Amino acid sequence: MKIRNTHSIDLDPVVTKGCGSRPRSNGIFGAFRFAAVLIFCSSFVARAEGDVSLEYKVKTVFLYNFTKFIEWPPGSMPEDGDFVIGIFGDDQFGDGLSYFADKKVRGRKIMVRKFAYVDDLEPCHILFICSSAKFNHGRILAAVADWHVLTVGEWEWFATNGGVINFVSRGGKVNFEINQAAAGRAGLRISSNLLNLATIVTE
Amino acid sequence: MKIAIRLLLLFALQAAFAHPIRANADDMDFEQLDGLSLAELMDVVVTSSSKKPERLADAPTAIYVITNDDIRRSGVTTIPEALRMAPGIQVARIDANKWAVSARGFNGRFANKLLVLIDGRSIYTPTFSGVYWEAQDVVLEDIERIEVVRGPGATLWGSNAVNGVINIITKHSRDTQGGLVTVGGGTEETAFTTVRYGGRLSADATYRMYTKYVERDDFVNASNNDGADEWDKFQGGFRIDWSKGDTDTFTVQGDVYKETVGQTYLFPSTTTPPFASFEDETDISGLNLVGRWERNVSETSGMFLQLYYDNFQREDLLVGEETDIFDVDYHHRFGLGIGNDVIWGFGYRLVSGAFEGTDQVAFVPADRTTHFYSAFVQDDIELVEDRLHLVIGSKFEHSYYSGFEYQPNIRLMYTPSSRQSIWGAVSRAVRTPSRAADDVLLNNRVLPANSPGNPFPLPIQATIRGHSDFESEELLAYEFGYRVSPTSDLSLDIAVFYNDYDDLRSFEVAESITNPTHIDTYVDIRNRMDGEAYGIELAADWSLTDWWRLQSSYAFQRLQLHIDNGSSDTTSEPGERRTPQQQAYLRSSFDITTAVSLDVTARFVDGIADFDIDGYTAIDVRLAWSPTERLVVSVVGQNLLDDRHPEYQPRLINTVPTEVQSGVYGKVAWQF
Repeated sequence: MKIRNTHSIDLDPVVTKGCGSRPRSNGIFGAFRFAAVLIFCSSFVARAEGDVSLEYKVKTVFLYNFTKFIEWPPGSMPEDGDFVIGIFGDDQFGDGLSYFADKKVRGRKIMVRKFAYVDDLEPCHILFICSSAKFNHGRILAAVADWHVLTVGEWEWFATNGGVINFVSRGGKVNFEINQAAAGRAGLRISSNLLNLATIVTE
Repeated sequence: MKIAIRLLLLFALQAAFAHPIRANADDMDFEQLDGLSLAELMDVVVTSSSKKPERLADAPTAIYVITNDDIRRSGVTTIPEALRMAPGIQVARIDANKWAVSARGFNGRFANKLLVLIDGRSIYTPTFSGVYWEAQDVVLEDIERIEVVRGPGATLWGSNAVNGVINIITKHSRDTQGGLVTVGGGTEETAFTTVRYGGRLSADATYRMYTKYVERDDFVNASNNDGADEWDKFQGGFRIDWSKGDTDTFTVQGDVYKETVGQTYLFPSTTTPPFASFEDETDISGLNLVGRWERNVSETSGMFLQLYYDNFQREDLLVGEETDIFDVDYHHRFGLGIGNDVIWGFGYRLVSGAFEGTDQVAFVPADRTTHFYSAFVQDDIELVEDRLHLVIGSKFEHSYYSGFEYQPNIRLMYTPSSRQSIWGAVSRAVRTPSRAADDVLLNNRVLPANSPGNPFPLPIQATIRGHSDFESEELLAYEFGYRVSPTSDLSLDIAVFYNDYDDLRSFEVAESITNPTHIDTYVDIRNRMDGEAYGIELAADWSLTDWWRLQSSYAFQRLQLHIDNGSSDTTSEPGERRTPQQQAYLRSSFDITTAVSLDVTARFVDGIADFDIDGYTAIDVRLAWSPTERLVVSVVGQNLLDDRHPEYQPRLINTVPTEVQSGVYGKVAWQF
């Protein structure tokens, strides 16, 4: 199958990565390129729905484990409420989010909510911001600034730009950075056991 | 040529993405992950989101990776000593500051069939063919890994990657943030210190800078007297990395160094005795500056552009040298249809060398500037998804000395399951002539009157003379390898090779001129030898528990050289007996508590018949205590089994070899 018969370097990076925007079509070459992108994207979608990559399984388990080492201010944890994990952007967790179904945080059930727009954001305890939303992170962080949210990102410089925890890839492994100043602003107390494992970064 | 980092990464990528271990790791489900501690979770290898290639070991080539951890725990203090960890790499110390390092035979101080790069910059000297190991250093703590490839790497790296390629890769400055101070000293490692600091220039740019000073003691000669081979070295440098957006990274890095290395030269003399000895302190200095732009659009799409400048100066009793190198490399990779990953590129290198000769060594002409052009293309074809890969490609080069060269290879890798892989390769590689092979006049030796080899009543003074007809040495290599990982804690790697060499270097008596006091004989550098080599290399890595790991290797090689009929060379054929036939290595890494670790390394090296050097076994021990994560105090004992042992002898350039002495040093490393 020689369909993607073009230098992929010519493809608009946004298209290759996110499959979100429609490429400009111009003439035969454009149509050809469009077809190539469609096929490329469809393989991507198929993968997302099928199995979840180990990377995102690991990140899922990390998110849950973080709750054991972090204290939220008492006011943000009402007795009868759920523990809310928000996910912003096109995520790759797939079916793996069902992992949270039988888990509890300090006796509370975990509810997962997905957000696509900054205006739709509602209070949550953890907000995972997908790399697809990285260019929007400034507005997202501003929107949740008053809510005692553990913000978690997954691209270079997220923590140094005001996020609390950032997943980074080190030698093919998932490690994380912590910005203590950002945690302090959100009113979160992070256990030294977690801090010891993290790379501490400053703004 | 030396498209190094990205290329090797890409090479790995080609294999890593189609090959097993990812699938293997994918087997882990939530139940298994849930049982892991945070620290264990951080240790799970996943396919990184940045699409950076991992699992280098899955390339269809005989590759071994020495990690930062390996270097730290082994207690080695120099790059060549670290290379002893790689299976099948022959490392021998000629004196305190000179090493012979090769793979699959042909060892020597100027071992010319092994290409070595530091962060994409070739450190193979274009002057003599080989590496001045005493001039190469980095902050060992800043090494991310050393990739050691045995066998031809010519298609991707280019000429002189005949028997192997060594790729020393330092960390991204992002990974060396904060300060590091190390101080130490001992009996052989007299005194050393490193200061490194890394910081942030802006939200998306980081830097580090360092200085390093090392002072090393002399060894002793065969009669147990102190040699004159003590040395000291000062080096400093920096690295800046800037990420632009998601896909582009810009790196600028550079080093500057100055050192004094001691040795005793033996100058051939036509009076008795036939050698006059001179103690010498050689001044070496150099600097380099590298700029690199990498773009990774996706796993199969990206580009790499690198420019570097390298200046090397050396002043000793024999010759004064100043060599400038300017180098450009570009490569581009893209997916061509489904299952075709293509990489192509080109390079240019300018080498300008100026020499100040003596009556011992001279270059004619003294100053010369030469240009090298190269291009390559390689395709990785997935014949059967996740199972069968074919890699095919060739390098094309033009150099002043040898003209046009082509260096193709074809590699096939079969991955029957996620736990094992089988690969085979056929490649052609060449060792191109160095400046010396063309231009040198080297006073090599004097045969006294009426001595073996000289029936005449006058002494013969033999001068080696470069020859413009000296061509590239050629290799056709057949390789086969098997890797298996029966459990996640155990991996085995086997590689066998058969190398067929043609047009190897020989020294041919060309003309003799009779003088009143002696006979001048000129010996030309020509190509009148061929040979073959075969061997096997085994490596095993076993993590018995979280706190105990064993790494071991064994290598056997045999080289047979055949001088052509009609050749007058009597010194090259014995070269087949100048590399140990067998080597074995065993390292135990043991964590006694979380704060205390003990590493023991034992290695056996076979004797070297032509030098009359016996085999030896050496043991190194490192005991380290780390009361906090920021502080490590260690004591290292090296070569503990004997007081001293000889490992090698120099050839061509006559220095007095010394014997490696046992030594102990202490070290404190503090991070802040």
